[in-house]
Amino acid sequence: MLDSLSSSLKDALKKIAGKTVVDRAAVEELVRSLQRALLQADVNVRLVMHLSQSIKKRALEEEPPKGMNVREHVLRIVYQELVGLMGNAGKTDLSRQTILMAGLQGSGKTTTTAKLARYFQRKGLKVGVICADTFRPGAYRQLATLCAKINVPIFGDPAEKDALLIVRDGIKRFAETEIVIIDTQGRHALEDELIKEIVDINEIAAPDHRWLVIDAALGQQAAEQARRFNEAIGIDGVLITKMDGTAKGGGALSAVSETKSGIVFIGDGETIDDLERFDPDSFISRLLGMGDLKALTERAEEAMADEEMDVNAMMRGKFTLRDMYRQLEAVNKMGPLKQVMSMLPLGGMQIPEDAYDVTSTKMDRYKVIMNSMTSAELDDPQIISGSRVHRISRGAGASPEDVRELLKYHRVMQRALKGMRGSKFSMQRMMKRFGKSQ
Amino acid sequence: MFEGLKSKLQNIQKTFGRSIEAAAVVEAPAAPAPIPGKKPDTFVSRVKNLVIERELIVSEKDINEPLAELEMALLENDVALDVSDAIIGYMKENLVGSHRKIGTSVDTVVAGALRGALLQVLGEGFDPLAYVRAHERPVKILITGVNGTGKTTSIVKMAHYFKINGFSVVLGAGDTFRAGAIEQIAEHARRLGIKVIQHQEGSDPAAVIYDTVEYAKAHNIDVVLADTAGRFHNRKNLMSQLDKIRRVMKPDLVVYVDEAVAGNDAVVRAKDFNDLVGTDAVMLTKADMDPRGGAAISIAHTIGKPILFLGTGQGYDDIVPFRPETIVDELVGVEG
Repeated sequence: MLDSLSSSLKDALKKIAGKTVVDRAAVEELVRSLQRALLQADVNVRLVMHLSQSIKKRALEEEPPKGMNVREHVLRIVYQELVGLMGNAGKTDLSRQTILMAGLQGSGKTTTTAKLARYFQRKGLKVGVICADTFRPGAYRQLATLCAKINVPIFGDPAEKDALLIVRDGIKRFAETEIVIIDTQGRHALEDELIKEIVDINEIAAPDHRWLVIDAALGQQAAEQARRFNEAIGIDGVLITKMDGTAKGGGALSAVSETKSGIVFIGDGETIDDLERFDPDSFISRLLGMGDLKALTERAEEAMADEEMDVNAMMRGKFTLRDMYRQLEAVNKMGPLKQVMSMLPLGGMQIPEDAYDVTSTKMDRYKVIMNSMTSAELDDPQIISGSRVHRISRGAGASPEDVRELLKYHRVMQRALKGMRGSKFSMQRMMKRFGKSQ
Repeated sequence: MFEGLKSKLQNIQKTFGRSIEAAAVVEAPAAPAPIPGKKPDTFVSRVKNLVIERELIVSEKDINEPLAELEMALLENDVALDVSDAIIGYMKENLVGSHRKIGTSVDTVVAGALRGALLQVLGEGFDPLAYVRAHERPVKILITGVNGTGKTTSIVKMAHYFKINGFSVVLGAGDTFRAGAIEQIAEHARRLGIKVIQHQEGSDPAAVIYDTVEYAKAHNIDVVLADTAGRFHNRKNLMSQLDKIRRVMKPDLVVYVDEAVAGNDAVVRAKDFNDLVGTDAVMLTKADMDPRGGAAISIAHTIGKPILFLGTGQGYDDIVPFRPETIVDELVGVEG
């Protein structure tokens, strides 16, 4: 469904591309498909109408700057307006701070609290977590289990019913801690008592940040809920959760526009490391179903920082099995393959859904096989003869066919990298070759 | 419940009424056109036709504007885009070219069309108690859904509902993945005095649920309610796990839980769950958060399965059986 949407958007863009002057019919068609894409993504209806009006107006009235063709001009307007809608990324730094988490039931506050704790911990800060959810049975246990996995201290008492008391004691207990995160019970805007409770918590804790957690699937209700939370405690940042599903997170934009804040983080997976800083570019890309290279390169940089790869040597065709091993590791760190792929601008290329599953298990198997190779073999795969293949397969508990498949995969990669040298860098072509080898 | 959509829809009905009325005024002088297929024979029947049985034909042009307005209202109330397209389609089909006898009021025609469209979308209701009564015991119910929609809370509410209606219930703590989930369901069950079968965190959910069914058989329990971990419909492995649970449990009912506040994605995931593991009925949670009601309409339309219950709050009693006629009557504002 969404694929067809983004392709209709692309078609509309193509039609504009062919024109020398911006024509009304083409712009209207573009705006219509943009509207549908945004509505489908749960962006607030009024925001969408407002946005499409101003895009239409600007596209028809503004003269394209010199040197910019019609398509670029219109795209630029669309992009600018969307960025305007999104606001700036929410602020966060690594100074001492207390963060209060607020949100609807089941939006993912507890999981996100643990993810945030992990995020700050990885930045080298001391983190403490307070469990102020005294209502939901198992809430303390859930947070405690998650925090135990990452060795973050948690303050709370499953037997205590007074959340205010817990927050008061918790703040004292973590007086020396750099980052204090307060997880609260889920509540919605129509529950006056609970809204009062969070107002009180806010007063006692005097947090530096009050972040609203929004489920990516939340619909038109997002604006109303955000408005009430904002009135109650003054929201200064929005966190979007469950972006690993198929929801596009448009509801969060309503929340941003209501609270005049920005999106701080995005949660996109079930493990504790699945938290990303918000980046407007990649968010827009997902919203409209177009790829984004920027987020990918950033992730790649972070993942490869500790294990330097000699890119130049690789380009010259010196791509050993050892390099490939590192590369597989790096890809692993970048997150599930699917996520990485979704960020590549693959154009209209369709990757079959099961390819991802096969690929990630295959990569694990490749690594096991490579662990059974000698250093000499890793450096120079040419020397791997039939008897070596048998020895490796026995060592790795794999079949000789698996080992040969790995070697073939390596040759394909090697050729692909060689192909990149000299000619124009073409990610698309490289991905195609990847596809063939699987 | 559904306040937002209700007031919107009632306003729009008036708009429809006005535009059709307006069209009628314009047409009035030229109206005595004979109705196709009817031969004006005698003078008397002609007069009768003109005065009493004269019909107005509603044209597409007359209702385009209010239809656009209706679409906006539906979208603003979280009815997914495809579904609101469908509703507009029904409305057009029912209204355009419809003959309105001059005796019947515009409101009746419009309300009838809207009512028809909504009822068609919401489908038939489902009476859980009648189902359990008529069915061989134990009745096995499996709960599915994505993360954070309120499966565990809903299952406990359902257990409570069956219990106060005189059925014995056992719960299976099939969410062995989320930290604290087993404790959550066990604590609820303790408060309600309901038996829960549980294994360790991280154990095989299918095994837990199998044990629950066996327990129910051995103890002559009426209803088995099996919880599962939340999972996204695009996770192949998790969905196959759910399929395995279904094979092991052989449930009589698979109840898919989603929240009333979900937007367009509600449709995508409801469809995927229905395609991959099947859904027999839907429970819609967090209906108290949202006076709209779009998700109910979207989900029911997409998978064509009845909505069983609405979850309307944090207490154990906050569960209401869903009756489409009542909801539609309330939305459209037809009295009696």
